[in-house]
Amino acid sequence: MGPVRLRGTSIEKRYGRVAALRGIDFEIAPGEAVALLGANGAGKSSLLKILAGLSKPSHGQFGAFVDGGTPPLDRSSLRAAVGYVGHATLLYGELSARENLDFAARLYGQRANQERIDQVLEDFALANVADRRADTFSRGMAQRLAIARAVIHRPGLLLLDEPFTGLDELSAERLSEQLGRLRSEERDAEANGGTPSLVVVTHDPRRATELADRAILLHHGIIRATPSKQHAEEFTADALRSMLGEFAREASHAA
Amino acid sequence: MNVAWALLWKDLATEWRSRDRIVAMTVFSFLIIVVFQFAWPNMEPEQIAQLAPGILWVTYVFAAVIGLGRTFSTELENDAMTALALAPGNRGWIFLGKATATWVLITAVQAMAGLVFALFFRVDLTIGLSGTATIVALANVAICSVGTLLSAMSVRSRFREVLLPVLLIPTLIPVLAAAVTGTTATVAGEALALTTLQPLIVIGGIYFILCFLLFDFVLDE
Repeated sequence: MGPVRLRGTSIEKRYGRVAALRGIDFEIAPGEAVALLGANGAGKSSLLKILAGLSKPSHGQFGAFVDGGTPPLDRSSLRAAVGYVGHATLLYGELSARENLDFAARLYGQRANQERIDQVLEDFALANVADRRADTFSRGMAQRLAIARAVIHRPGLLLLDEPFTGLDELSAERLSEQLGRLRSEERDAEANGGTPSLVVVTHDPRRATELADRAILLHHGIIRATPSKQHAEEFTADALRSMLGEFAREASHAA
Repeated sequence: MNVAWALLWKDLATEWRSRDRIVAMTVFSFLIIVVFQFAWPNMEPEQIAQLAPGILWVTYVFAAVIGLGRTFSTELENDAMTALALAPGNRGWIFLGKATATWVLITAVQAMAGLVFALFFRVDLTIGLSGTATIVALANVAICSVGTLLSAMSVRSRFREVLLPVLLIPTLIPVLAAAVTGTTATVAGEALALTTLQPLIVIGGIYFILCFLLFDFVLDE
């Protein structure tokens, strides 16, 4: 499936009386890489679940589109287009790395393609542990396998929820490089009809600038800023950190 | 359909490696049989014949509850339930794969428990064996259908250990009534009548279709 365009208008998400998102508007172009930044409780994970088709907005319109098509994808087609990595790895510990990828491919209705599985294992530096059970993996290896699992069906939209959490600096660096390479690989782009769109939730402004073309800064369920690479001075780790700090200070003054 | 096969393979492979459910169900069913043996140590063969269907089905249902309670335990570990919810297409196939794997495991445990029961109570279960096996297989369709749906509903609940049996057993009363009546006849050496199987086929079929259709909503938020 080709890269996905996402559009949300007046999106609200409520859990009982608590509002996680308060009427946000956004548009993510096909192939664009966007980082969602914000403090805990800003609404990042709620937004990501809506983008994945795992959750419906309480109010507002959300649509995902492929190939410039006008009718939005239905929820099943959206799920087929999504590669998702959540807070947990979504892996089965009793299965080997290869079996986890095989099972994931079958869930997406694809026949077991050993060539594709070998290629993804190679891309994520897991080929030498392909037949080892996933519950014997270190946190870094499990996280790489989780992302390998998310891309096995060549998604048009890759959604990553804090993929660097719990990783040491070296593992995080390695993962960041692998994600960057994944998006620049011509092989996948050709098979997909374009580079997949990417939305990554992170607390780390440095990772956001490495991976994304643009950032969406959320605070208390509202989009407060959308700095991009087009305005290079706004899109540095220090500038993003400073903006987040300012929002936090405003909130503590208001309280 | 591929999704159902994938889940069936995955559930049986993970169970083969961990043996979580099958060991728990087998030990539990053996213990129930031992307790009944202590309760009635010196029964006459006629009394055993009368009580056998009841003892067998009490054992089978409680062992099934143990197994069904852990149907989605492997999905809880790393939030693989979200991975299932993200699978495209009709989620009924996910239900079919999970329910079939549970059916295989529960039926295997019931076969072992039947053997142990026959040894402890000195009952000749070869009398009417094919009839009893047919009744068990059909009743298991209803047990595994409703059990898989309720297990998926309760798996994220704080009270899942209590919720599942409290919801499951009342739902299964018509199935159990038909199964016990049928088993009483087959153990006594009577031929298996179509009227005995009809309620199991009809109720099992209705439960299966309903659960297949409703599973889509269970995996939603």
